[in-house]
Amino acid sequence: MNKTVAVFFGGRSTEHDISIISALSSVIKPLELTKKFNVIPVYISKDGKWFSDEKLKDFSIFRGTGIDELCGKLKPLTVIFDGGMTIKKSGFKNKEIRIDIAFPVMHGPYGEDGSLMGLFRMAGIPFVGSDMEASAVAMDKVLSKQVAQANNIPTPKFIFFSKTEFNADPKSVIYKVTKNLVFPQFVKPAHLGSSIGITKVKNTDELLNAIEVAAYYDDKIIVEESIEDLIEVTVPIMGNEVLIPASVERPLSHDDEFFDFDAKYMTGGKKTGGAKQAGAQGYSEIPAKLPNNLYAESIKIAKDIYTAIGCEGISRVDLLIDSKSKIVYFNEVNPLPGSLYAHNWRASGVSSIDLVSRLVELAQERFDSDKQIETIFSSNFLKQF
Amino acid sequence: MRYYWTRFSFKYPQIIIYMLQGSEYKIEDYLKWLDRTNDFRQVIRRRKLDYTNKAKSLLILIWLTIIFIYVIAGYLLFQSIILANILMTVLSVFLFIISPLVIAYGIVIPLWLGKIIIQEPKQHKIVTTAQQIFANHPALKIAIVGSYGKTTAKEIISTILSEGKKVAYTPGNMNTTIGISRFALTLNGDEDVIVVELGEEKVGDVLDLCELTCPDIGIITGINEAHLSSFGNIDNTIATIFEIKDYLGNNILYKNAESPLVIKKINDNDKFTFSQKGTNGWSINQILTNINGTTFVAVKNNKTLFSHTDLLGTHNVGIISVAIDIADSIGLSIPQIISGIKKTKPFEHRMQPRRLRGAWVIDDTYNGNSEGVKAGLSLLKSLDAKRRIYVTPGLVEQGDKNREVHEKIGQQIAKVADVVVLMQNSVTDYIRNGLKSEKYKGKLIIIDDPLEFYTNLDHFVVSGDVVLMQNDWTDNYA
Repeated sequence: MNKTVAVFFGGRSTEHDISIISALSSVIKPLELTKKFNVIPVYISKDGKWFSDEKLKDFSIFRGTGIDELCGKLKPLTVIFDGGMTIKKSGFKNKEIRIDIAFPVMHGPYGEDGSLMGLFRMAGIPFVGSDMEASAVAMDKVLSKQVAQANNIPTPKFIFFSKTEFNADPKSVIYKVTKNLVFPQFVKPAHLGSSIGITKVKNTDELLNAIEVAAYYDDKIIVEESIEDLIEVTVPIMGNEVLIPASVERPLSHDDEFFDFDAKYMTGGKKTGGAKQAGAQGYSEIPAKLPNNLYAESIKIAKDIYTAIGCEGISRVDLLIDSKSKIVYFNEVNPLPGSLYAHNWRASGVSSIDLVSRLVELAQERFDSDKQIETIFSSNFLKQF
Repeated sequence: MRYYWTRFSFKYPQIIIYMLQGSEYKIEDYLKWLDRTNDFRQVIRRRKLDYTNKAKSLLILIWLTIIFIYVIAGYLLFQSIILANILMTVLSVFLFIISPLVIAYGIVIPLWLGKIIIQEPKQHKIVTTAQQIFANHPALKIAIVGSYGKTTAKEIISTILSEGKKVAYTPGNMNTTIGISRFALTLNGDEDVIVVELGEEKVGDVLDLCELTCPDIGIITGINEAHLSSFGNIDNTIATIFEIKDYLGNNILYKNAESPLVIKKINDNDKFTFSQKGTNGWSINQILTNINGTTFVAVKNNKTLFSHTDLLGTHNVGIISVAIDIADSIGLSIPQIISGIKKTKPFEHRMQPRRLRGAWVIDDTYNGNSEGVKAGLSLLKSLDAKRRIYVTPGLVEQGDKNREVHEKIGQQIAKVADVVVLMQNSVTDYIRNGLKSEKYKGKLIIIDDPLEFYTNLDHFVVSGDVVLMQNDWTDNYA
């Protein structure tokens, strides 16, 4: 009998819509085409309600007001923790579906940051992608950079502070930043992906404004020195212990200072330069035209940080290359890259179907391996009371 | 009987019309399809019902019949309750149960009546007029016959001759008596060349169509097992196609020397045979083919043509040499012929390449014969690819050669493809046997839902793949 794979998408994050695109285009359809799984969509609305319905597999429902109407008609799911995880659809006829494997396709907070993974761990079911701790670290730009530093992986110099700290004494924060870092700098919310709330600044005034923008999105802010003479590349990686990198990819954005949300998802990038592929992030060069040593170094750094953070299943590592000094810096890790970066995997010889099949296998392998670890032991403590 | 209940679906009337449409309203074909269908949920899989006026009218007729039957059945049931008459109850239930059969078989009656009373007299008139048009038309008339490759040959010849002459040709694969006759009615009378494709399904068809179209030149594109079910045996097929020779007498008849069944009937000194080597004194050299097309050099006496066509595969070169010979004989200049060849492009669903997510997909789904399979595999083998993926449901209408033909196809595929995708149907096991006998070690994927596969091909491919999709089965063959 086919296993039931529940695909979780949507969510209470600013990247709600990206998650829908990722789930529908790169996960649900290929999973169905494998003919190996019974695929159940679990959509989490912006206000945190969970729904499941076959109609949620169709893109058209998410255009316009269709999704609101559907959610208005459907009753939110009940989740039963019965030694596993079962979802109960209420309606004319109640239907219970036991989930064999969870496939979270969530970006940003409440999904990609480990929250959902914690839920699956509690339920005791296998799930695709990195575990709770690695997801939490990866989604925190400060923590992931600290992990990089601790493992001697180069990363741009940075300062971080809380929103409260900034609001209480902005001048002191600005002083701390300007004293330790040189301009230009990048100001980023520590937990958001998809370049939301990120600004490049060249002076103190811009810095102040940019921190206010970042503080609007997050309570933890990071400011880092910009790498000039920059080549920005990204490396998708798959695996638990044995790591398989896809191609080193160089996103080609318009002439703006960096690759922002609009360039990534809204405009489709600018069609200039050499061999390009349209992907989740507009147009890219795959594989990136880099000298052999820099290409190999990019793969090495990407694998090193993947292992250091403890990523599993799939992740995408963003790197910054200083084309003058030839140093490859770690920038950030995305535990669930948009649309799984299927365009890069395809260019690297892995079809969408093979990609999702392998990810489900990796989830099962980790689950089976974790089961070998003893977590319960008998004691006589209780008898003493 | 297990799936009889599937006839009570709300979609049943649409399914019936879909089957009629899929059988081209040929009553015999429709009834055969109907008889072998058990589960009516599985009928509409590849295409959708085309809501033509005819389809809409028949659909309304079916619904009216259903309502009529249900009203009668309901009335009988009502009366049976009032009168406590068990016989009427049984009759009511019986009427309800047989209603799908009444509809499915009853729909044949208005079709048959329409054919006898309206269609046939009307068609007879059109055919008579068409015969006069062809007989009196001053244009050079070229007839193309064969089991395969007719439409491609017609397109190639028409495209090349159009460079210097006014050419008319039968549209699409319109090659029946009525289709060709309707085409004749569209002629202006000032055409220089008329190219007609003659279809054949039974003995005598080609001669009948020759008498209708009065060709001056003929071309036999090749002979194989296509339509073997209706011909009975291959000798009948050969005899039917060679009826054009009887009609033409001493006029020119080009014959494909790359078709083994045609070779059997050719004299050694016949200069009007054609192949990749050329025809009638034209010699073809330096053939190169890749995903961007085919280049070659054609030479005859002091004439040399450096040619490029966007058509894929070396198998087209023979028929292009025929077009060159005809073009030369009717006075086209060398630059005109070269220009004409350059304008020949892949036709829709015939060796038509397109990019898909970094892969190449060659759509040859309109191909439906073993020669085409051979040509396709030869092309696939010649192309650079990360993986060579071959997709086919197999061939239809192979008569008693069905097993043999498909086992052979399996053997041929095994030598070329890294991945084989088969559409599950009655010949799948034969192709698998062929693959096994060649100890095929690549990946084999069996697909239940062809439409789903075709529409989601982008999820199956990776950059650098070359996917060749050949043949397509309509639902009436599944």
